[in-house]
Amino acid sequence: MNQAEHPQDGFVVEMKAISKRFGTITALEGVDFQVPRQQVMALLGDNGAGKSTLIKILTGVHRPTRGEIYFENRQVEIDSPRVARDLGIETVYQDLALVNLMSITRNFFLGRELVRELGPIRWLQLAEMNRLTHSSLVEVGIDIRSPSEPVGSLSGGERQSIAIGRAMHFGAKLLILDEPTSALSVAETRKVLSYIRNAKDRGLSVVFITHNVNHCYEVSDAYTILRHGKIVGTYQRGELSQDDIAALITGEREN
Amino acid sequence: MPAQATLLSRVRFRLAAIPDAVALASFGAVFLFFALAAENFLTPLSIANILTFASISGIVVVGVAVLMISGEFDLSVGSTFAVASYVFALGLIAEVPPLLCLLAALVVSALLGLLNGLIVTTTGIPSFIATLGTMLAYRGIARAIGGSDFAFYSGEPLLLFRILNAPLDSLNKSFSPAATFRISILWFGLIAVLLAQVLRRTRFGNWVFATGGNRGAALSLGVPVRRVVVANFVLAGLLAGVASVLQFAHRSSVDPLRGEGLELIAVAACVIGGLRLTGGSGSILGACLGMLLLQMLEQGLVLMQIPVQVFQAVAGLILIIAVISNTYLTGEG
Repeated sequence: MNQAEHPQDGFVVEMKAISKRFGTITALEGVDFQVPRQQVMALLGDNGAGKSTLIKILTGVHRPTRGEIYFENRQVEIDSPRVARDLGIETVYQDLALVNLMSITRNFFLGRELVRELGPIRWLQLAEMNRLTHSSLVEVGIDIRSPSEPVGSLSGGERQSIAIGRAMHFGAKLLILDEPTSALSVAETRKVLSYIRNAKDRGLSVVFITHNVNHCYEVSDAYTILRHGKIVGTYQRGELSQDDIAALITGEREN
Repeated sequence: MPAQATLLSRVRFRLAAIPDAVALASFGAVFLFFALAAENFLTPLSIANILTFASISGIVVVGVAVLMISGEFDLSVGSTFAVASYVFALGLIAEVPPLLCLLAALVVSALLGLLNGLIVTTTGIPSFIATLGTMLAYRGIARAIGGSDFAFYSGEPLLLFRILNAPLDSLNKSFSPAATFRISILWFGLIAVLLAQVLRRTRFGNWVFATGGNRGAALSLGVPVRRVVVANFVLAGLLAGVASVLQFAHRSSVDPLRGEGLELIAVAACVIGGLRLTGGSGSILGACLGMLLLQMLEQGLVLMQIPVQVFQAVAGLILIIAVISNTYLTGEG
């Protein structure tokens, strides 16, 4: 196995010997996965390879059956999505995790509302949240008409932008994108790739999950390939061609 | 075609953002109809009757409304209403201090709500079924503690009754014939305004809409969905208890069938008021308008000397029309 050389900064997250069983089904078996600081790590694998399970362990949706997680060199128990968010891990889920009937602002700050405490009641600071939503979406290059518009009235690409903008605003340290480009047009995909570069430039580390190497080849610094719940290997940018990676994903070639 | 679909969906979501528009329009239509068709509809006495009756059911309705926005039903509120009435009544009859009786009735109704919430969140059974079960079970409790009889408080007049639900005498006497406004109208208004503020302006309110609008998304973003659902069941139970003690303070009696059908009136009022059956959308104002519409309908038909059975038929028709228009507007269909 070709272990990735990492830069001086080390890893933002290290998952060690992660196994996950659902009943009698083994979804992950002894998986080691690291994300170097301020780099874009592509997590590649075919459908059912275990990518989503691995990420859901990192985001607190599932607990691992075995294994350890280190975040910034400190061992952590991520037992809920809230814990993950508090650590600085933000995720753009494949389904975007948006509430269509709620406004852009209310979606943007959901679970992270700005409040003023008055006795036992936490009042929303809606004006401030509207202002911040607008400015941070502009900052990442997303133009919206009004932050109080319901998310359901936006186009698919716009909704994707809101989800990414939200993750970038709150994702202090690690940004996870689950198949962010699989449903997008070429132009929209290009936009998502520019968001990823933008995030990296701002000091974030990124995990880009996809089953299609063509989608991530441009922006990734390294690749980790999963097959049948096991790690095939981790490779630096330029070490392998796109065809080599594709062959490793499908298992046409062993490493 | 895709462009048209997008335009349509944009319009739909804009309209869904102002669900009260439909409720307000249907309320206005019914009001206008009776104002023109029913003699004595626009009199202080008639309006006082509508508000006084609607205030008791209305307090139940707003609790059910908050729960429904978070995506859950409670069919047991009518039975909870009866249990709380009996706890209050039997305590008073046994000469337990009135404040203690009040407290006991409210605690019991909140606990029945809590039980609903725990059943739904721990078993994952749809709340429609779970609370259908507790509706029967709680009705059984009411009958068990109440026997098959009326419970009637015939002791001395209590100050507590006056605080809870005295007639607003000086206002009522200023009309001729005298009207029947009661304090319960003020309690209803206070509770409705408070809940409306909580829903629109607090973090908890935001979580309620998210829990009903897209539970998976709410969970992914760290919203404590279970806690929200349990809290809303407790609220629905508690408000059923509040309504029951207000009613008892007025009537001094309770029977084993008290509150039966209230659960369906509450759901009907919510739906007429523009709340989505699946949650995530709606308002307290809408639910109140729905309740007032139903009460107006009943009062108006009585004034027109139309048999009470017609009320149910018309209410059912309005309910169906409301569901159709709301479903179309939010594009659920």
